[in-house]
Amino acid sequence: MRQLLIDIFSFGDRPRFEKIGFLIFLLIVLIFPWIVTSAYGRAVMIKFLLFALFGLGWNLIGGYGGQVDLGQAKNVGFGAYATALMIVWWKIPFWVTIPVGMFFAVLESFLVAYPMFRLKGHYFAIATLCVALVWKELFIFWDWTGGARGVEIPIRTGVDFAYMQFNSAIYYHYFILFLFLTQLLFMNWFRKSKMGYWVQAVRDNEEAAASMGINVTNTKVKAYCIAAALGAVGGSFMAVYYLYIDPDAVMPLDLSILIAMTVMVGGAGSIWGPIIGAAILIPLDMYLGAWLGAQKRLGIDFMIYAMIMMVIAAKEPRGIWGIIERVRKKRSR
Amino acid sequence: MMLEVKNLVKEFGGLVANAGISLELQRGEVLGLIGPNGAGKSTLFNCIAGYYKPTGGHILFEGKDITGWPSHLVAREGIARTFQGMKIMPNLTVGENVMIGAFCRTNDRRIALKEAGEILDLMGLDGETEAYPAELPIASQKRIELARAIATKPKLLMLDEMAAGLNPLETKEIIQALQRIKEDRKLTLFLTEHVMEFVMTVSQRVIVMSAGKKITEGPPAEVARQEKVIEAYLGERYAKGR
Repeated sequence: MRQLLIDIFSFGDRPRFEKIGFLIFLLIVLIFPWIVTSAYGRAVMIKFLLFALFGLGWNLIGGYGGQVDLGQAKNVGFGAYATALMIVWWKIPFWVTIPVGMFFAVLESFLVAYPMFRLKGHYFAIATLCVALVWKELFIFWDWTGGARGVEIPIRTGVDFAYMQFNSAIYYHYFILFLFLTQLLFMNWFRKSKMGYWVQAVRDNEEAAASMGINVTNTKVKAYCIAAALGAVGGSFMAVYYLYIDPDAVMPLDLSILIAMTVMVGGAGSIWGPIIGAAILIPLDMYLGAWLGAQKRLGIDFMIYAMIMMVIAAKEPRGIWGIIERVRKKRSR
Repeated sequence: MMLEVKNLVKEFGGLVANAGISLELQRGEVLGLIGPNGAGKSTLFNCIAGYYKPTGGHILFEGKDITGWPSHLVAREGIARTFQGMKIMPNLTVGENVMIGAFCRTNDRRIALKEAGEILDLMGLDGETEAYPAELPIASQKRIELARAIATKPKLLMLDEMAAGLNPLETKEIIQALQRIKEDRKLTLFLTEHVMEFVMTVSQRVIVMSAGKKITEGPPAEVARQEKVIEAYLGERYAKGR
């Protein structure tokens, strides 16, 4: 038990500059809403933390697992709809809906994973993309999900910790920070666990992994399901934060791609990569949204992302974290 | 009896790579498998290790029928292997590579870490734990593969072309490391090799394959003199001329 706690909370195996960097980061996000009082600034911060959380989950399958999953938005959608519908239908408190959302995300992922993992590389990526798009269309088509009109959560006044509705962005800030940190600590445990190493072994060489007693398909399926559960948590947050969800908001292709991109830009397969990626792409995304306005719909923002992606892929496939590691290695020599 | 292969057949479409191979391997023995290119040595290895499903025949490991088992179950049963073209995890450090092998028998990271450390010591790789495999010379990478296989605590270790690409000195060193480990871990070895110096010094008994069939077996010195072995390697003319 004690060892488990150490594994969860300790970053002791990381170099000192990482620990210092992480402490500085923690300090900034802890005091941020007291320094920045503008609604816009706080909204950018909350979105950053949300996408850092999404990135952490995706990093498990896409980074550590090396399986390019372009359908994470479906899991976000499952989480968001589980929360929104349960609150609207049965007035169930928010904290009960989180595990339900995770459950459905895992169940669906488990059911589609076995046929999907018969595919590899690009074909797997295309399959994940298709599955996510099918779910989005189904949620638009179905009546019980509210169809294209979406679901509106009735507004509560004041501060409500059962339904997590607040009259100030400060509460949402610490709320998403809490969810983000739980996932960060989970990933900190995961990267040191047997499962974490197995997932990486499968990514690097499936045949070698099998020769060491690793069940390759099972390992991939488990990683895919855990990543789905982590993504669903962010979806649940989106439901109570925006108070209105529809398939276009919580399960679009754009969201899947943005999640994957934050991790790839930041550095796939490293614990800090998703945070760095989100810290760059989310402010950029918000800025472009404000600057381009309605033209954002034309996809100009995605052209800019694509260019960033191309530079990263050509210069350093391991993302910004890869550049940092390289510089450090050079210095230590 | 450690390993028993009975009348193993493996066909790829019309090509018969293994046409009814039978062999036995005693506990603690070192068995070599030689033969010219295309004789079906690697196919036989891959059938035993679970990478190919045999078309016919049986493979018994310690009396248990493991024919057609997937490779991860074969590994857990106690058969470890190295690969002809090395298959090392490039994005993980040397220590982590070996640690993943140790995770085959334990769930505890600390135990795996300790075992990996011991094996790296034994292989003379203790200074390279933090390095990435690509930063090391080929000979060291071969040792990583060997260390990783041993970390799974096998009863039978199968080595596929261990000495390929190594110079004579490196070959000698890896033979020494292998013999040290065999004593230390009480392993049974089954190896296939092109480098004759390697296979002839290490093996107690040698099986010769040609065109998918076992043509002979016996002590290395004896086998090397047989006419049909020379014929398989060099052709009929050389065998007759001798």
